[in-house]
Amino acid sequence: MNAIILSAIWAVIMMLGSFMVKRKGNFRHIAAFGLLVLFVANIADTYGYSLFNFNNHGFLQFTRFGYLFNSIAIFSSLIYVLITGKEISRYGNHTAEYFALIFFVMCGVSMLAFYNNLLTLFLGIEIMTIPLYILTGSDKRNMKSNEAALKYFLMGSFSTGIMLMGIVFSYGGTGTFSLDVSRAGIPNLYNHVASFLEIVGLLLLLVSLAFKVSAAPFHFWTPDVYDGAPSVFTSFMATIVKAAGFIAFIKLCLVRMTATSAAIDWKMIFAIIIIATLLVGNITAVFQQSVKRMLAYSSIAQAGFMLFSLFSVNDFAKEGILLYSAAYSLATIGIFAVLVKMKDYTFEGYNGLAKKQPLLAATNTVFLLSLAGIPLTAGFFAKYYMLAAVVKTGSYLWLVIVAVLFAAVSVYYYFRVIQAMYFKDGNAETEAITPSFKAGLLLVAALIILIGVYPGIILNWLYF
Amino acid sequence: MNILNILIDTVSSPGSTSDYLPIAIQLIFAAGFVATMIALSHWIGPKRNTSDKLENFTSGIETHGDARQPMAIKYFLVAILFVLFDVEVIFFYPYAVNFKELGWSGFFEIILFVAFFLIGFIYIIKSGALKWED
Repeated sequence: MNAIILSAIWAVIMMLGSFMVKRKGNFRHIAAFGLLVLFVANIADTYGYSLFNFNNHGFLQFTRFGYLFNSIAIFSSLIYVLITGKEISRYGNHTAEYFALIFFVMCGVSMLAFYNNLLTLFLGIEIMTIPLYILTGSDKRNMKSNEAALKYFLMGSFSTGIMLMGIVFSYGGTGTFSLDVSRAGIPNLYNHVASFLEIVGLLLLLVSLAFKVSAAPFHFWTPDVYDGAPSVFTSFMATIVKAAGFIAFIKLCLVRMTATSAAIDWKMIFAIIIIATLLVGNITAVFQQSVKRMLAYSSIAQAGFMLFSLFSVNDFAKEGILLYSAAYSLATIGIFAVLVKMKDYTFEGYNGLAKKQPLLAATNTVFLLSLAGIPLTAGFFAKYYMLAAVVKTGSYLWLVIVAVLFAAVSVYYYFRVIQAMYFKDGNAETEAITPSFKAGLLLVAALIILIGVYPGIILNWLYF
Repeated sequence: MNILNILIDTVSSPGSTSDYLPIAIQLIFAAGFVATMIALSHWIGPKRNTSDKLENFTSGIETHGDARQPMAIKYFLVAILFVLFDVEVIFFYPYAVNFKELGWSGFFEIILFVAFFLIGFIYIIKSGALKWED
Protein backbone atom coordinates (compact mmCIF):
# COMPACT_ATOMS: atom_id res chain seq x y z
CA MET A 1 0.00 0.00 0.00
CA ASN A 2 2.86 2.36 0.85
CA ALA A 3 4.31 2.19 -2.64
CA ILE A 4 1.02 2.79 -4.46
CA ILE A 5 0.07 5.88 -2.46
CA LEU A 6 3.53 7.36 -2.00
CA SER A 7 4.38 7.09 -5.70
CA ALA A 8 1.18 8.96 -6.60
CA ILE A 9 1.92 11.61 -3.96
CA TRP A 10 5.48 12.00 -5.20
CA ALA A 11 4.23 12.36 -8.75
CA VAL A 12 2.05 15.25 -7.59
CA ILE A 13 5.03 16.74 -5.76
CA MET A 14 7.11 16.59 -8.94
CA MET A 15 4.23 18.15 -10.88
CA LEU A 16 3.94 21.06 -8.46
CA GLY A 17 7.73 21.26 -8.33
CA SER A 18 7.79 22.06 -12.04
CA PHE A 19 6.88 25.69 -11.26
CA MET A 20 8.10 25.93 -7.66
CA VAL A 21 11.67 24.68 -8.13
CA LYS A 22 13.66 27.07 -10.26
CA ARG A 23 16.81 25.08 -10.97
CA LYS A 24 16.23 22.42 -13.61
CA GLY A 25 19.13 20.29 -12.41
CA ASN A 26 17.45 19.69 -9.06
CA PHE A 27 14.58 17.66 -10.44
CA ARG A 28 16.53 14.47 -10.84
CA HIS A 29 17.80 14.72 -7.28
CA ILE A 30 14.24 15.13 -6.02
CA ALA A 31 13.17 12.17 -8.15
CA ALA A 32 16.05 10.00 -6.93
CA PHE A 33 15.24 10.89 -3.34
CA GLY A 34 11.58 10.07 -3.98
CA LEU A 35 12.48 6.65 -5.35
CA LEU A 36 14.70 6.04 -2.34
CA VAL A 37 11.77 6.91 -0.05
CA LEU A 38 9.58 4.61 -2.09
CA PHE A 39 12.10 1.79 -1.82
CA VAL A 40 12.43 2.11 1.95
CA ALA A 41 8.66 2.43 2.37
CA ASN A 42 8.08 -0.68 0.30
CA ILE A 43 10.57 -2.71 2.32
CA ALA A 44 8.99 -1.43 5.54
CA ASP A 45 5.63 -2.48 4.14
CA THR A 46 7.00 -5.97 3.45
CA TYR A 47 7.66 -6.41 7.16
CA GLY A 48 4.32 -5.03 8.27
CA TYR A 49 5.01 -1.33 8.76
CA SER A 50 2.26 0.08 6.62
CA LEU A 51 1.58 3.80 6.68
CA PHE A 52 -1.86 3.52 5.20
CA ASN A 53 -4.28 0.96 6.51
CA PHE A 54 -7.74 0.75 5.12
CA ASN A 55 -10.06 -1.91 3.87
CA ASN A 56 -9.55 -2.39 0.15
CA HIS A 57 -12.42 -4.91 -0.14
CA GLY A 58 -10.24 -7.60 -1.70
CA PHE A 59 -9.24 -5.45 -4.64
CA LEU A 60 -5.58 -5.73 -3.73
CA GLN A 61 -3.72 -8.65 -2.25
CA PHE A 62 -0.39 -8.05 -0.57
CA THR A 63 1.88 -11.04 -1.04
CA ARG A 64 5.58 -11.54 -0.52
CA PHE A 65 5.95 -12.11 -4.24
CA GLY A 66 4.37 -8.75 -5.04
CA TYR A 67 6.45 -6.92 -2.45
CA LEU A 68 9.69 -8.41 -3.68
CA PHE A 69 8.91 -7.59 -7.28
CA ASN A 70 7.95 -4.08 -6.31
CA SER A 71 11.25 -3.64 -4.48
CA ILE A 72 13.14 -4.87 -7.55
CA ALA A 73 11.19 -2.51 -9.83
CA ILE A 74 11.70 0.50 -7.57
CA PHE A 75 15.38 -0.29 -7.12
CA SER A 76 15.85 -0.65 -10.89
CA SER A 77 14.18 2.69 -11.53
CA LEU A 78 16.31 4.27 -8.82
CA ILE A 79 19.40 3.05 -10.63
CA TYR A 80 17.86 4.19 -13.91
CA VAL A 81 17.32 7.72 -12.59
CA LEU A 82 20.78 7.85 -11.03
CA ILE A 83 22.57 6.82 -14.23
CA THR A 84 20.47 8.37 -16.98
CA GLY A 85 18.61 11.08 -15.07
CA LYS A 86 20.71 13.76 -16.66
CA GLU A 87 19.67 12.71 -20.17
CA ILE A 88 15.99 13.13 -19.34
CA SER A 89 16.41 16.89 -19.11
CA ARG A 90 17.69 16.96 -22.70
CA TYR A 91 14.22 16.68 -24.22
CA GLY A 92 12.29 19.92 -24.06
CA ASN A 93 11.85 21.97 -20.92
CA HIS A 94 9.39 19.76 -19.07
CA THR A 95 11.89 17.79 -17.03
CA ALA A 96 9.83 17.78 -13.84
CA GLU A 97 6.80 16.52 -15.73
CA TYR A 98 8.78 13.62 -17.18
CA PHE A 99 9.78 12.57 -13.68
CA ALA A 100 6.18 13.01 -12.52
CA LEU A 101 5.07 10.70 -15.32
CA ILE A 102 7.71 8.16 -14.29
CA PHE A 103 6.28 8.23 -10.77
CA PHE A 104 2.79 7.70 -12.14
CA VAL A 105 4.14 4.70 -14.03
CA MET A 106 5.58 3.42 -10.76
CA CYS A 107 2.12 3.76 -9.21
CA GLY A 108 0.73 1.55 -11.97
CA VAL A 109 3.58 -0.92 -11.55
CA SER A 110 2.89 -1.20 -7.80
CA MET A 111 -0.78 -1.74 -8.52
CA LEU A 112 0.03 -4.55 -10.93
CA ALA A 113 2.23 -6.19 -8.32
CA PHE A 114 -0.66 -6.35 -5.85
CA TYR A 115 -3.83 -6.60 -7.91
CA ASN A 116 -6.38 -9.23 -7.01
CA ASN A 117 -9.24 -8.13 -9.17
CA LEU A 118 -9.66 -7.69 -12.90
CA LEU A 119 -10.71 -4.07 -12.35
CA THR A 120 -7.50 -3.24 -10.52
CA LEU A 121 -5.61 -5.07 -13.26
CA PHE A 122 -7.21 -2.75 -15.79
CA LEU A 123 -6.53 0.30 -13.64
CA GLY A 124 -2.91 -0.69 -13.13
CA ILE A 125 -2.30 -1.32 -16.82
CA GLU A 126 -3.87 2.02 -17.74
CA ILE A 127 -2.03 4.02 -15.06
CA MET A 128 1.16 2.40 -16.29
CA THR A 129 0.72 2.88 -20.04
CA ILE A 130 -0.93 6.30 -20.39
CA PRO A 131 2.13 8.19 -19.06
CA LEU A 132 4.24 6.09 -21.42
CA TYR A 133 2.34 7.36 -24.46
CA ILE A 134 3.37 10.86 -23.42
CA LEU A 135 6.97 9.92 -22.65
CA THR A 136 7.25 8.24 -26.06
CA GLY A 137 6.32 11.48 -27.81
CA SER A 138 8.28 13.75 -25.49
CA ASP A 139 10.80 14.65 -28.18
CA LYS A 140 8.25 16.93 -29.81
CA ARG A 141 10.42 18.27 -32.66
CA ASN A 142 11.35 14.79 -33.84
CA MET A 143 8.98 13.24 -36.38
CA LYS A 144 9.98 9.71 -35.43
CA SER A 145 9.12 10.33 -31.81
CA ASN A 146 5.73 11.70 -32.81
CA GLU A 147 5.05 8.76 -35.06
CA ALA A 148 6.02 6.31 -32.33
CA ALA A 149 3.76 8.01 -29.81
CA LEU A 150 0.76 7.98 -32.13
CA LYS A 151 1.37 4.36 -33.10
CA TYR A 152 1.79 3.31 -29.48
CA PHE A 153 -1.29 5.23 -28.41
CA LEU A 154 -3.57 3.83 -31.12
CA MET A 155 -2.40 0.24 -30.78
CA GLY A 156 -2.28 0.46 -27.01
CA SER A 157 -5.81 1.77 -26.67
CA PHE A 158 -7.02 -0.89 -29.07
CA SER A 159 -5.47 -3.61 -26.95
CA THR A 160 -7.02 -1.98 -23.87
CA GLY A 161 -10.36 -2.34 -25.59
CA ILE A 162 -9.68 -6.03 -26.10
CA MET A 163 -8.71 -6.33 -22.45
CA LEU A 164 -11.98 -4.72 -21.33
CA MET A 165 -13.90 -7.06 -23.59
CA GLY A 166 -12.07 -9.98 -21.99
CA ILE A 167 -12.88 -8.72 -18.50
CA VAL A 168 -16.56 -8.39 -19.42
CA PHE A 169 -16.70 -11.90 -20.89
CA SER A 170 -14.96 -13.27 -17.83
CA TYR A 171 -17.48 -11.48 -15.65
CA GLY A 172 -20.27 -13.00 -17.67
CA GLY A 173 -18.82 -16.46 -17.16
CA THR A 174 -18.09 -16.23 -13.45
CA GLY A 175 -20.27 -13.48 -12.03
CA THR A 176 -17.34 -11.72 -10.37
CA PHE A 177 -14.42 -9.45 -11.19
CA SER A 178 -12.30 -11.01 -8.46
CA LEU A 179 -9.43 -13.28 -9.43
CA ASP A 180 -10.54 -15.97 -6.98
CA VAL A 181 -13.67 -17.57 -8.30
CA SER A 182 -15.84 -20.22 -6.74
CA ARG A 183 -17.24 -21.98 -9.73
CA ALA A 184 -19.80 -23.99 -7.80
CA GLY A 185 -23.32 -23.17 -8.89
CA ILE A 186 -22.38 -21.74 -12.27
CA PRO A 187 -24.58 -23.54 -14.78
CA ASN A 188 -23.32 -25.35 -17.83
CA LEU A 189 -19.59 -25.60 -17.27
CA TYR A 190 -17.46 -26.87 -20.10
CA ASN A 191 -15.75 -30.09 -18.95
CA HIS A 192 -17.20 -29.25 -15.49
CA VAL A 193 -14.45 -26.65 -15.07
CA ALA A 194 -15.22 -23.31 -16.61
CA SER A 195 -17.95 -21.69 -18.60
CA PHE A 196 -17.43 -20.95 -22.25
CA LEU A 197 -17.73 -17.20 -21.66
CA GLU A 198 -14.95 -17.23 -19.08
CA ILE A 199 -12.60 -19.03 -21.44
CA VAL A 200 -13.33 -16.54 -24.22
CA GLY A 201 -12.66 -13.75 -21.72
CA LEU A 202 -9.38 -15.27 -20.61
CA LEU A 203 -8.29 -15.69 -24.23
CA LEU A 204 -8.98 -12.01 -24.90
CA LEU A 205 -7.10 -11.06 -21.73
CA LEU A 206 -4.22 -13.22 -22.91
CA VAL A 207 -4.16 -11.38 -26.24
CA SER A 208 -4.13 -7.93 -24.65
CA LEU A 209 -1.52 -8.79 -22.03
CA ALA A 210 0.63 -10.47 -24.69
CA PHE A 211 0.41 -7.15 -26.52
CA LYS A 212 1.58 -5.23 -23.46
CA VAL A 213 4.61 -7.49 -22.97
CA SER A 214 5.20 -7.55 -26.76
CA ALA A 215 4.97 -11.27 -27.36
CA ALA A 216 4.64 -12.40 -30.96
CA PRO A 217 2.29 -12.24 -32.87
CA PHE A 218 1.33 -9.06 -31.02
CA HIS A 219 4.80 -7.49 -31.12
CA PHE A 220 4.55 -5.32 -34.23
CA TRP A 221 4.39 -2.04 -32.33
CA THR A 222 7.56 -2.74 -30.35
CA PRO A 223 10.42 -2.04 -32.80
CA ASP A 224 8.91 1.20 -34.11
CA VAL A 225 7.97 2.53 -30.69
CA TYR A 226 11.25 1.56 -29.03
CA ASP A 227 13.19 2.97 -31.96
CA GLY A 228 11.23 6.22 -32.20
CA ALA A 229 11.00 7.05 -28.50
CA PRO A 230 13.85 9.02 -26.92
CA SER A 231 16.47 6.45 -25.85
CA VAL A 232 16.19 7.25 -22.15
CA PHE A 233 12.51 6.45 -22.14
CA THR A 234 12.98 3.37 -24.30
CA SER A 235 15.25 2.12 -21.56
CA PHE A 236 12.49 2.62 -19.01
CA MET A 237 9.81 1.05 -21.20
CA ALA A 238 11.87 -1.98 -22.12
CA THR A 239 12.80 -2.84 -18.55
CA ILE A 240 10.61 -1.94 -15.59
CA VAL A 241 7.37 -1.61 -17.51
CA LYS A 242 7.85 -4.84 -19.38
CA ALA A 243 8.70 -6.73 -16.19
CA ALA A 244 5.57 -5.32 -14.53
CA GLY A 245 3.52 -6.57 -17.46
CA PHE A 246 4.90 -10.02 -16.85
CA ILE A 247 4.14 -9.87 -13.13
CA ALA A 248 0.53 -9.01 -13.94
CA PHE A 249 0.43 -11.77 -16.51
CA ILE A 250 1.88 -14.47 -14.25
CA LYS A 251 -0.60 -13.67 -11.49
CA LEU A 252 -3.48 -14.11 -13.91
CA CYS A 253 -1.95 -17.39 -15.06
CA LEU A 254 -1.33 -18.64 -11.53
CA VAL A 255 -4.95 -18.16 -10.53
CA ARG A 256 -7.27 -18.20 -13.50
CA MET A 257 -5.44 -20.21 -16.13
CA THR A 258 -4.41 -22.93 -13.70
CA ALA A 259 -8.02 -23.28 -12.58
CA THR A 260 -9.32 -23.64 -16.14
CA SER A 261 -6.50 -25.78 -17.51
CA ALA A 262 -8.77 -28.82 -17.76
CA ALA A 263 -11.05 -27.02 -20.19
CA ILE A 264 -8.44 -25.54 -22.51
CA ASP A 265 -4.84 -26.44 -23.19
CA TRP A 266 -3.11 -23.23 -22.07
CA LYS A 267 0.28 -24.91 -22.24
CA MET A 268 -0.10 -25.46 -25.97
CA ILE A 269 -1.17 -21.84 -26.54
CA PHE A 270 1.80 -20.54 -24.56
CA ALA A 271 4.16 -22.94 -26.33
CA ILE A 272 3.06 -21.49 -29.68
CA ILE A 273 3.46 -17.92 -28.44
CA ILE A 274 6.90 -18.69 -27.00
CA ILE A 275 8.18 -20.28 -30.20
CA ALA A 276 6.82 -17.42 -32.31
CA THR A 277 8.29 -14.79 -29.98
CA LEU A 278 11.72 -16.40 -29.84
CA LEU A 279 11.74 -16.87 -33.61
CA VAL A 280 10.68 -13.34 -34.50
CA GLY A 281 12.79 -11.64 -31.85
CA ASN A 282 16.03 -13.48 -32.42
CA ILE A 283 15.99 -13.90 -36.19
CA THR A 284 15.00 -10.28 -36.87
CA ALA A 285 17.52 -8.93 -34.38
CA VAL A 286 20.30 -10.62 -36.38
CA PHE A 287 19.60 -8.40 -39.41
CA GLN A 288 19.49 -5.03 -37.66
CA GLN A 289 22.01 -2.31 -38.44
CA SER A 290 21.15 0.00 -35.55
CA VAL A 291 22.00 -1.08 -32.02
CA LYS A 292 18.87 0.60 -30.68
CA ARG A 293 16.63 -1.32 -33.04
CA MET A 294 18.57 -4.50 -32.30
CA LEU A 295 17.84 -3.94 -28.61
CA ALA A 296 14.14 -3.53 -29.42
CA TYR A 297 14.09 -6.93 -31.08
CA SER A 298 16.26 -8.39 -28.36
CA SER A 299 13.67 -7.22 -25.84
CA ILE A 300 11.10 -9.25 -27.78
CA ALA A 301 13.44 -12.24 -27.65
CA GLN A 302 13.95 -11.78 -23.90
CA ALA A 303 10.17 -11.58 -23.50
CA GLY A 304 10.09 -15.01 -25.13
CA PHE A 305 12.22 -16.34 -22.30
CA MET A 306 10.13 -14.63 -19.65
CA LEU A 307 7.05 -16.26 -21.18
CA PHE A 308 8.39 -19.60 -19.96
CA SER A 309 7.30 -18.62 -16.47
CA LEU A 310 3.71 -18.31 -17.73
CA PHE A 311 4.02 -21.65 -19.46
CA SER A 312 5.17 -23.55 -16.37
CA VAL A 313 3.29 -21.87 -13.57
CA ASN A 314 5.09 -23.34 -10.55
CA ASP A 315 7.25 -22.07 -7.68
CA PHE A 316 10.36 -22.30 -9.80
CA ALA A 317 8.74 -20.06 -12.39
CA LYS A 318 7.78 -17.51 -9.74
CA GLU A 319 11.34 -17.34 -8.47
CA GLY A 320 12.62 -17.32 -12.03
CA ILE A 321 10.53 -14.36 -13.19
CA LEU A 322 11.74 -12.27 -10.24
CA LEU A 323 15.34 -13.14 -10.99
CA TYR A 324 14.80 -12.57 -14.69
CA SER A 325 13.20 -9.17 -14.23
CA ALA A 326 16.08 -8.08 -11.99
CA ALA A 327 18.79 -9.42 -14.32
CA TYR A 328 17.15 -8.19 -17.51
CA SER A 329 16.26 -4.76 -16.12
CA LEU A 330 19.74 -4.06 -14.76
CA ALA A 331 21.53 -5.21 -17.91
CA THR A 332 19.22 -3.34 -20.28
CA ILE A 333 19.35 -0.14 -18.24
CA GLY A 334 23.14 -0.36 -18.43
CA ILE A 335 23.23 -0.96 -22.17
CA PHE A 336 20.86 1.91 -22.84
CA ALA A 337 22.86 4.18 -20.53
CA VAL A 338 25.88 3.58 -22.75
CA LEU A 339 23.76 3.87 -25.90
CA VAL A 340 22.46 7.34 -24.99
CA LYS A 341 26.03 8.54 -24.67
CA MET A 342 26.91 7.37 -28.19
CA LYS A 343 26.76 9.84 -31.07
CA ASP A 344 26.02 7.14 -33.65
CA TYR A 345 23.52 4.36 -32.86
CA THR A 346 24.67 1.95 -35.59
CA PHE A 347 27.04 -0.93 -35.00
CA GLU A 348 29.75 1.07 -36.76
CA GLY A 349 29.28 3.78 -34.16
CA TYR A 350 30.67 1.39 -31.54
CA ASN A 351 33.84 0.66 -33.52
CA GLY A 352 36.90 1.16 -31.37
CA LEU A 353 35.06 2.16 -28.22
CA ALA A 354 37.38 0.00 -26.12
CA LYS A 355 40.35 2.20 -26.97
CA LYS A 356 38.61 5.50 -26.32
CA GLN A 357 36.49 4.59 -23.31
CA PRO A 358 37.80 1.31 -21.87
CA LEU A 359 35.50 1.36 -18.86
CA LEU A 360 32.36 1.96 -20.92
CA ALA A 361 33.30 -0.89 -23.24
CA ALA A 362 34.10 -3.26 -20.37
CA THR A 363 30.87 -2.65 -18.47
CA ASN A 364 28.87 -2.76 -21.69
CA THR A 365 30.42 -6.17 -22.34
CA VAL A 366 29.24 -7.39 -18.94
CA PHE A 367 25.70 -6.21 -19.72
CA LEU A 368 25.69 -7.87 -23.13
CA LEU A 369 27.06 -11.11 -21.70
CA SER A 370 24.30 -11.03 -19.10
CA LEU A 371 21.62 -10.62 -21.77
CA ALA A 372 23.14 -13.46 -23.75
CA GLY A 373 23.07 -15.66 -20.63
CA ILE A 374 26.75 -16.41 -20.16
CA PRO A 375 27.58 -18.01 -16.76
CA LEU A 376 28.81 -15.79 -13.90
CA THR A 377 26.39 -13.09 -14.97
CA ALA A 378 22.84 -12.64 -13.70
CA GLY A 379 21.37 -13.53 -17.08
CA PHE A 380 22.64 -17.09 -16.86
CA PHE A 381 20.72 -17.98 -13.70
CA ALA A 382 17.68 -16.12 -14.96
CA LYS A 383 17.56 -18.26 -18.09
CA TYR A 384 18.48 -21.34 -16.06
CA TYR A 385 15.51 -20.89 -13.72
CA MET A 386 13.15 -20.37 -16.64
CA LEU A 387 14.22 -23.55 -18.41
CA ALA A 388 14.42 -25.55 -15.18
CA ALA A 389 10.82 -24.59 -14.45
CA VAL A 390 9.77 -26.11 -17.77
CA VAL A 391 11.78 -29.26 -17.09
CA LYS A 392 10.05 -29.58 -13.72
CA THR A 393 6.63 -29.68 -15.34
CA GLY A 394 7.80 -32.87 -17.05
CA SER A 395 6.34 -32.21 -20.49
CA TYR A 396 7.26 -30.15 -23.54
CA LEU A 397 10.97 -30.88 -23.22
CA TRP A 398 11.46 -30.00 -26.90
CA LEU A 399 10.55 -26.45 -25.98
CA VAL A 400 13.65 -26.25 -23.79
CA ILE A 401 15.84 -27.45 -26.64
CA VAL A 402 14.36 -24.86 -29.01
CA ALA A 403 14.92 -22.15 -26.41
CA VAL A 404 18.57 -23.09 -25.95
CA LEU A 405 19.07 -23.00 -29.72
CA PHE A 406 17.59 -19.52 -29.90
CA ALA A 407 19.74 -18.42 -26.98
CA ALA A 408 22.70 -19.48 -29.09
CA VAL A 409 21.39 -17.34 -31.96
CA SER A 410 21.10 -14.39 -29.60
CA VAL A 411 24.78 -14.69 -28.74
CA TYR A 412 25.56 -13.73 -32.34
CA TYR A 413 23.99 -10.29 -32.29
CA TYR A 414 25.06 -9.46 -28.75
CA PHE A 415 28.65 -10.36 -29.58
CA ARG A 416 28.53 -8.23 -32.71
CA VAL A 417 28.52 -5.19 -30.43
CA ILE A 418 31.41 -6.57 -28.38
CA GLN A 419 33.30 -7.33 -31.59
CA ALA A 420 32.73 -3.78 -32.81
CA MET A 421 33.96 -2.34 -29.53
CA TYR A 422 37.10 -4.42 -29.18
CA PHE A 423 38.21 -5.82 -32.51
CA LYS A 424 37.32 -3.15 -35.03
CA ASP A 425 39.20 0.04 -35.69
CA GLY A 426 37.21 3.18 -35.61
CA ASN A 427 36.60 6.40 -33.87
CA ALA A 428 33.64 5.84 -31.57
CA GLU A 429 32.33 9.26 -30.65
CA THR A 430 30.70 9.73 -27.29
CA GLU A 431 29.40 12.67 -25.37
CA ALA A 432 31.20 13.91 -22.31
CA ILE A 433 31.47 11.11 -19.73
CA THR A 434 31.45 12.14 -16.08
CA PRO A 435 33.17 10.11 -13.33
CA SER A 436 29.84 9.64 -11.52
CA PHE A 437 28.38 8.08 -14.68
CA LYS A 438 31.30 5.67 -14.79
CA ALA A 439 30.79 4.83 -11.13
CA GLY A 440 27.12 4.12 -11.81
CA LEU A 441 27.95 1.76 -14.66
CA LEU A 442 30.50 -0.03 -12.47
CA LEU A 443 27.88 -0.45 -9.74
CA VAL A 444 25.38 -2.00 -12.17
CA ALA A 445 28.03 -4.32 -13.60
CA ALA A 446 29.06 -5.35 -10.08
CA LEU A 447 25.44 -6.04 -9.18
CA ILE A 448 25.00 -8.19 -12.27
CA ILE A 449 28.05 -10.27 -11.45
CA LEU A 450 27.02 -10.49 -7.80
CA ILE A 451 23.58 -11.83 -8.73
CA GLY A 452 25.23 -14.13 -11.24
CA VAL A 453 27.40 -15.68 -8.56
CA TYR A 454 24.86 -15.67 -5.73
CA PRO A 455 21.32 -15.66 -7.18
CA GLY A 456 20.12 -16.40 -3.65
CA ILE A 457 20.63 -12.82 -2.53
CA ILE A 458 17.46 -11.87 -4.39
CA LEU A 459 15.43 -15.02 -4.01
CA ASN A 460 16.00 -15.41 -0.27
CA TRP A 461 13.94 -12.29 0.32
CA LEU A 462 10.95 -14.25 -0.89
CA TYR A 463 11.03 -16.42 2.23
CA PHE A 464 12.18 -14.37 5.19
CA MET B 1 -11.75 -26.84 -27.58
CA ASN B 2 -14.29 -27.79 -30.15
CA ILE B 3 -16.74 -25.03 -31.01
CA LEU B 4 -19.38 -27.56 -32.07
CA ASN B 5 -19.18 -29.23 -28.67
CA ILE B 6 -19.87 -25.98 -26.94
CA LEU B 7 -22.90 -25.33 -29.07
CA ILE B 8 -24.28 -28.79 -28.35
CA ASP B 9 -23.57 -28.29 -24.66
CA THR B 10 -25.34 -25.00 -24.49
CA VAL B 11 -28.40 -25.82 -26.54
CA SER B 12 -29.38 -28.69 -24.28
CA SER B 13 -29.52 -26.87 -20.96
CA PRO B 14 -31.41 -23.74 -19.84
CA GLY B 15 -29.93 -20.62 -18.30
CA SER B 16 -26.98 -20.52 -20.66
CA THR B 17 -25.63 -18.92 -23.78
CA SER B 18 -28.55 -20.29 -25.81
CA ASP B 19 -30.76 -17.77 -24.01
CA TYR B 20 -28.94 -15.10 -25.92
CA LEU B 21 -29.95 -16.58 -29.27
CA PRO B 22 -33.01 -14.28 -29.66
CA ILE B 23 -30.74 -11.30 -29.07
CA ALA B 24 -28.37 -12.53 -31.76
CA ILE B 25 -31.29 -12.97 -34.15
CA GLN B 26 -32.50 -9.49 -33.31
CA LEU B 27 -29.04 -8.06 -33.94
CA ILE B 28 -28.80 -9.78 -37.30
CA PHE B 29 -32.29 -8.61 -38.17
CA ALA B 30 -31.55 -5.01 -37.17
CA ALA B 31 -28.33 -4.85 -39.16
CA GLY B 32 -29.89 -6.67 -42.10
CA PHE B 33 -32.94 -4.39 -42.16
CA VAL B 34 -30.81 -1.25 -42.25
CA ALA B 35 -28.54 -2.65 -44.93
CA THR B 36 -31.47 -3.77 -47.07
CA MET B 37 -33.22 -0.43 -46.80
CA ILE B 38 -30.12 1.53 -47.76
CA ALA B 39 -29.38 -0.79 -50.64
CA LEU B 40 -33.00 -0.72 -51.86
CA SER B 41 -33.27 3.07 -51.80
CA HIS B 42 -29.97 3.26 -53.62
CA TRP B 43 -31.09 0.91 -56.38
CA ILE B 44 -34.77 1.79 -56.75
CA GLY B 45 -34.83 5.46 -55.85
CA PRO B 46 -34.68 8.08 -58.62
CA LYS B 47 -31.43 9.91 -59.20
CA ARG B 48 -31.53 13.56 -60.19
CA ASN B 49 -28.22 15.18 -59.42
CA THR B 50 -28.12 18.95 -59.42
CA SER B 51 -25.22 21.15 -58.45
CA ASP B 52 -27.06 22.31 -55.30
CA LYS B 53 -27.58 18.76 -54.15
CA LEU B 54 -23.96 17.81 -54.55
CA GLU B 55 -22.76 20.64 -52.36
CA ASN B 56 -21.79 20.09 -48.72
CA PHE B 57 -24.58 20.85 -46.29
CA THR B 58 -23.59 23.72 -44.03
CA SER B 59 -26.90 24.66 -42.39
CA GLY B 60 -28.02 26.71 -45.34
CA ILE B 61 -25.03 29.03 -45.53
CA GLU B 62 -23.07 29.04 -48.74
CA THR B 63 -19.76 27.24 -48.38
CA HIS B 64 -16.66 29.33 -48.71
CA GLY B 65 -12.97 28.55 -48.37
CA ASP B 66 -11.14 25.55 -46.98
CA ALA B 67 -11.67 24.14 -43.51
CA ARG B 68 -8.00 23.22 -43.19
CA GLN B 69 -6.62 26.52 -42.02
CA PRO B 70 -3.85 26.90 -39.48
CA MET B 71 -5.29 27.76 -36.10
CA ALA B 72 -3.64 28.86 -32.88
CA ILE B 73 -2.72 25.91 -30.64
CA LYS B 74 -4.36 27.77 -27.73
CA TYR B 75 -7.79 26.86 -29.06
CA PHE B 76 -7.01 23.18 -28.92
CA LEU B 77 -5.42 23.42 -25.50
CA VAL B 78 -8.36 25.25 -23.99
CA ALA B 79 -10.87 22.99 -25.75
CA ILE B 80 -9.10 19.82 -24.58
CA LEU B 81 -8.80 21.09 -21.02
CA PHE B 82 -12.47 22.01 -21.05
CA VAL B 83 -13.46 18.55 -22.22
CA LEU B 84 -11.16 16.99 -19.61
CA PHE B 85 -12.74 18.87 -16.72
CA ASP B 86 -16.19 18.42 -18.17
CA VAL B 87 -15.75 14.67 -18.25
CA GLU B 88 -14.50 14.63 -14.66
CA VAL B 89 -17.86 16.04 -13.57
CA ILE B 90 -19.47 12.79 -14.68
CA PHE B 91 -17.81 11.11 -11.70
CA PHE B 92 -19.87 13.26 -9.39
CA TYR B 93 -23.14 11.80 -10.63
CA PRO B 94 -22.74 8.35 -9.04
CA TYR B 95 -21.86 10.10 -5.80
CA ALA B 96 -24.84 12.43 -6.04
CA VAL B 97 -27.18 9.49 -6.61
CA ASN B 98 -25.81 7.58 -3.61
CA PHE B 99 -25.29 10.64 -1.45
CA LYS B 100 -27.21 9.39 1.61
CA GLU B 101 -26.05 5.77 1.52
CA LEU B 102 -22.35 6.61 1.34
CA GLY B 103 -22.48 8.88 4.39
CA TRP B 104 -19.41 10.56 5.77
CA SER B 105 -16.84 8.12 4.33
CA GLY B 106 -18.19 8.82 0.87
CA PHE B 107 -18.00 12.52 1.58
CA PHE B 108 -14.32 12.31 2.52
CA GLU B 109 -13.59 10.29 -0.59
CA ILE B 110 -15.23 12.86 -2.82
CA ILE B 111 -13.28 15.58 -0.98
CA LEU B 112 -10.10 13.66 -1.82
CA PHE B 113 -11.19 13.44 -5.43
CA VAL B 114 -11.88 17.18 -5.58
CA ALA B 115 -8.51 17.86 -3.96
CA PHE B 116 -6.68 15.92 -6.67
CA PHE B 117 -8.83 17.71 -9.18
CA LEU B 118 -7.81 21.09 -7.78
CA ILE B 119 -4.12 20.19 -7.82
CA GLY B 120 -4.48 19.47 -11.52
CA PHE B 121 -6.22 22.81 -12.00
CA ILE B 122 -3.52 24.69 -10.07
CA TYR B 123 -0.91 22.94 -12.17
CA ILE B 124 -2.62 24.00 -15.39
CA ILE B 125 -2.89 27.63 -14.30
CA LYS B 126 0.65 27.79 -12.95
CA SER B 127 2.19 26.23 -16.03
CA GLY B 128 0.47 28.90 -18.09
CA ALA B 129 -1.76 26.71 -20.23
CA LEU B 130 -4.70 29.09 -19.91
CA LYS B 131 -2.73 32.25 -20.61
CA TRP B 132 -4.26 33.68 -23.74
CA GLU B 133 -1.63 36.27 -24.62
CA ASP B 134 2.00 35.28 -24.84
